[in-house]
Amino acid sequence: MTSRSEALIELDGVRKSFGDTEVLKGISLNVGKGEAVCVIGPSGSGKSTILRTINGLLPVDEGFIRVGEHRVHELRSDREMRPLRRQVAMVFQQYNLFPHRTVLENVAMAPVQVLGHDPEEVRERAVRLLAKVHLDGKESRYPGELSGGQQQRVAIARALAMQPEVILFDEVTAALDPETVKGVLETIRELVVEGMTCVLVTHEMRFAREVSHRVCFTDHGRIVESAPPAELFDAPQDPRTREFLAQVL
Amino acid sequence: MFGLDFTWLLDPTYQGWLVEGVWITLQLAAVSSLAALVIGLFGALGLTLRLWWLDALIELFVEVFRNTPPLLQMLFFYFTLTQLGFTIEDPVTGLQQPLFNAFFSASVSLSLFGGALCVEAFRSGLDAVPKATLEAARSLGYGRWALFRRVQAPIATRICLPGLTNVLTNLFKTTSQASVITVPELMYAAGQVYNDTFRTLEAMLLVLVIYVALVSLLSWALLRLERLFAYPGYGQGV
Repeated sequence: MTSRSEALIELDGVRKSFGDTEVLKGISLNVGKGEAVCVIGPSGSGKSTILRTINGLLPVDEGFIRVGEHRVHELRSDREMRPLRRQVAMVFQQYNLFPHRTVLENVAMAPVQVLGHDPEEVRERAVRLLAKVHLDGKESRYPGELSGGQQQRVAIARALAMQPEVILFDEVTAALDPETVKGVLETIRELVVEGMTCVLVTHEMRFAREVSHRVCFTDHGRIVESAPPAELFDAPQDPRTREFLAQVL
Repeated sequence: MFGLDFTWLLDPTYQGWLVEGVWITLQLAAVSSLAALVIGLFGALGLTLRLWWLDALIELFVEVFRNTPPLLQMLFFYFTLTQLGFTIEDPVTGLQQPLFNAFFSASVSLSLFGGALCVEAFRSGLDAVPKATLEAARSLGYGRWALFRRVQAPIATRICLPGLTNVLTNLFKTTSQASVITVPELMYAAGQVYNDTFRTLEAMLLVLVIYVALVSLLSWALLRLERLFAYPGYGQGV
């Protein structure tokens, strides 16, 4: 495992409650540069909440979060978080594309409007990224005209256009038809191979096993077990991990 | 059939009254629609700031003007405020004149009535933008204002257009109530015509046709606007 000081992402003792329900009960997790970490676990165990604390979409109640040089738990407004958000992109379960903008505009909007990059250069970048996710020719379509799998690949291109150091994937295949899942997973696999740091919340156990360097099993707001995939899937140590894997595998 | 007689329509005096009536109806509708849209926009924007005292103020405004008859509001502005002393001295005659003349009273009350309905229309549009879409924009580094301008407002505007069409067509028809406080708009002109000619049925039929034509034109234009801003998956019709 990456040593603490070298980690790109560092969470320590992170706690988060919604009303009376404590969703995260002390999460500690390090992710090194170029590492792909999968987070698995039952529904409601806090997986998606962990991702949202990393890029500051959800403020935490307690604990320490660092991404690169940004101390996330100390940032207060969306304005203060802008440099962090530039570094950390996110892809969502429901794609969440901007329905009133074309595919190309969806990818190019934020780099121009948020980062102030040159529109012509961003346009070229967007065209290149759309080709990378195998969507060349769809530039002038609207999200509503694409299949779920295609929309999700636009969302990945939109994340990449920010030139991030980390991408957070939040159950990105959970809303897709089985036949379109493969294309999306293939795209993510390529990113991992290219050395992009990825944190993935997923229900695709086979994919988690193949693509990730490390798998974390969460249950009731805690990381119960964290190990390389071969170890975690073949020789789980904790009884809760064993029980969960017995149900899903 | 029915012994209808429209020959009075050839009289230039009646033509003049009616043309003047249509013109004033259009002015009243234009002024109050624009003001209502502005009030609605600022009201809905005010609600997004989530300040409890501002919320309470806007909600009070909406409840008062949405839940009282626009006719009552007009009468209030025209008579009550004058009686309460809102008058100005006429520089020529030296007499006290109402500060709120008929056209101004009608404009103000229609603007506030329409504005209250527009606040609700805009608010429902802003509310209907999926929270997940806004979360995606935040994750891309959009700040509060940029997020509103680039993502929330463009989507909300499209969602609230059908509701706004309802409000504006209704507001157009409500201008006819200004005839009660002697604004010489279309309805008032028609009354003058049948008081003069005793051709009540004919005058009402003509006014009916004119209202149908004008309001249809308005709602057609707004539907065109809806289609113009439509995007796949929203606003292209059912």
